[in-house]
Amino acid sequence: MTAATTATGGTRHGALRELWSSALTIMVKELRSRFRGRRAFLVLTLYLAVLAALAYGMYTVTGPAARNAARLAAEFGDPTVINASARVGQGIFSILSVFQLLLIGFIAPAFTAGAISLEREKQTLDLLIATPIRPAGLVIGKLFSALAFVVLMIVAAIPISALVLMYGGATVDDILRQQAVLFSSAIGFGVIGLFWSALTRRTQTATVLTYSTLLALTIGTLLVWRFWTDVATAAPDNVLQERRTAPEAILYVNPAVAMIEIVANTELEYGDFSDAYNALRPTGAGGEECIGDACLPLPKGRPVPAEPPMPRGGVDLPAGPRALLEPAVDFAVPPDQLALETEFNHFWPRITLTYAVLSVVLTLVAMRLVQPAGTRLHRWRIRRRSSGPERAVPLEAGAGIEEISG
Amino acid sequence: MGAVIQTRGLVKRYDEELAVAGIDLVVERGEIYGLVGPNGAGKTTTMRMLATLLAPTAGQALVCGVDVADDPMEVRRRIGYMPDFWGVYDDLRVWEYLDFFARCYGVPANRRAAMIGELLEIVDLSGKHDAYVESLSRGMRQRLCLAHTLVHDPELLILDEPASGLDPRARVEMREILRALAGMGKTILVSSHILPELGELCTSVGIIDHGRLLRSGRIDEIERSLRAAAVLRIDLLSDPEPVISQLGTDGRVSSVLQVEGGIGTARLEVSFDGGPDEQAALLQTLVQGGHRVAGFSQATSDLEEIFLRVTGSLTDEEETAA
Repeated sequence: MTAATTATGGTRHGALRELWSSALTIMVKELRSRFRGRRAFLVLTLYLAVLAALAYGMYTVTGPAARNAARLAAEFGDPTVINASARVGQGIFSILSVFQLLLIGFIAPAFTAGAISLEREKQTLDLLIATPIRPAGLVIGKLFSALAFVVLMIVAAIPISALVLMYGGATVDDILRQQAVLFSSAIGFGVIGLFWSALTRRTQTATVLTYSTLLALTIGTLLVWRFWTDVATAAPDNVLQERRTAPEAILYVNPAVAMIEIVANTELEYGDFSDAYNALRPTGAGGEECIGDACLPLPKGRPVPAEPPMPRGGVDLPAGPRALLEPAVDFAVPPDQLALETEFNHFWPRITLTYAVLSVVLTLVAMRLVQPAGTRLHRWRIRRRSSGPERAVPLEAGAGIEEISG
Repeated sequence: MGAVIQTRGLVKRYDEELAVAGIDLVVERGEIYGLVGPNGAGKTTTMRMLATLLAPTAGQALVCGVDVADDPMEVRRRIGYMPDFWGVYDDLRVWEYLDFFARCYGVPANRRAAMIGELLEIVDLSGKHDAYVESLSRGMRQRLCLAHTLVHDPELLILDEPASGLDPRARVEMREILRALAGMGKTILVSSHILPELGELCTSVGIIDHGRLLRSGRIDEIERSLRAAAVLRIDLLSDPEPVISQLGTDGRVSSVLQVEGGIGTARLEVSFDGGPDEQAALLQTLVQGGHRVAGFSQATSDLEEIFLRVTGSLTDEEETAA
């Protein structure tokens, strides 16, 4: 190794250490503020209470119906009807997955949409930027401290999700997939909030733009996909009126699709959410699945089961309740179907990957946006007229620099 | 000695508006330098450029020998900056607030606690170590903000209107603290539009208006450069008219103004081109002329007057040019 490369390596190492030190400084301050008082603990308690109530509610709603179905199946000897325990488990898993994603979608941006803009509004950003703190460290520190709480919420809810393992109907793999989607969505949603917070002046604007973006990514992409598909199908040259679906990549930014897919794959043919999972079933080998009228494409290469596979059975129940149920049957999916290659043909890994990339890109952009004008690296901020020379414009005053010095 | 701040042709342009129009500023080590000017004159913009929060459109600014455009991080390590408008993190305690900024400046953990204690003592907030920042009064917050600029023991303090919004008592306290800091060897660049305040505090001033530095230097030097003649204040118990007539015939007197005096007295302000000997002779002439002179002194101008004369002469020049 030459001296030059050693020096470069040393500088890079020093810069990384400074970056981490900056991020850590911001995190310590943010976490001190965030976890002070009862607010954080109340939010966490409320979150877990809502999830627990949903799980209990699902249990009370699905339990009797599942037992009846199981009893009838036992009387008429229908082997395709699954046991009651698994149906309860599937119900709980479904509702927890969907609601966790929904709650994370509300909470994660709430922590980040004001991260930078609040500093501007409270006029503390100038004090911060005037220190040697690295703008990148500022953004990372803000992001990590906001996500620390969201991650705590997700992790704290794992024991509630793990209730499913007691009933069956979903496996550890399903819970891991669910967690992967939740984590990547939380990070992605948080970063989107941070990005708008860095770009806009006011927290209110950043919040509105953040939630609008999330709506566009979820409901918006579904509507676009549906509209595209309908228009393509109704095209005059489509004489036979074959279904021409929109590119599935439109849905790669939609974590709701990933979660629906994960939930649907646990239920497949039978379950308490029969409408939902029937709608999500592939329409033959055509490579698409439908929710009501809206059909989603199946990623290419996704294995379409020749016959509806049985949902995975639950663990043995104690003698009392067990007497009301069909014996638990293990219909575990063969391990080869869980191979990574096959797994990537599903929506959820693609959506998770998309969100990882999106998070990195938007974080880098946010870092640029909080660069003070003095560094001369400040180029990307939206050019805007200032109201006067004495106006405090720490981040936007860079506009106009290039026209003379550049 | 040596210049801590040195700018050459510093310019800041916002679209079509020229906020700072080529400032050459020199602030020597150990000075308390006051930047004086009306609102919108370019004081804040100049300070923000020096604090690396704004990039100059043109020109160069060296702070502690470092170019603000080339190495802003190094400049930030060398200075403490207090903006004109700022907020505090309400939900932190006083020591946490200072600890946070000490971390920002990379002050080692083993030095932070002792340093925070010392700083709180300097700004007279020792009793508020564990108080929440939101519970502090305006004056206390101002002093806390000043303390935050000191956590890394900087060479230079750039303080933009540090006493704005404070009551008279808090202003005096702030002034005393700044004097104490100057006594500790800090160079201070401070701006204000409350001129008497700066006049009492600063060793040098720069008068800035319309983005231009009109005068810069020690207050007495600026005063001298402005005056060709001394202004004499003469308080009379007798009728001032004969005195005005008599002075009008004196070739060394360029103007006589009658201003409001005390009860039973009349005050004249006389522009007189002469040293102490000539002044003594003039007094003697007046007394011998039978005029009852109750007071005779050379007026010393304050910063406010200097400022008005400097900016007034600019306005006159502009009018003449037009």
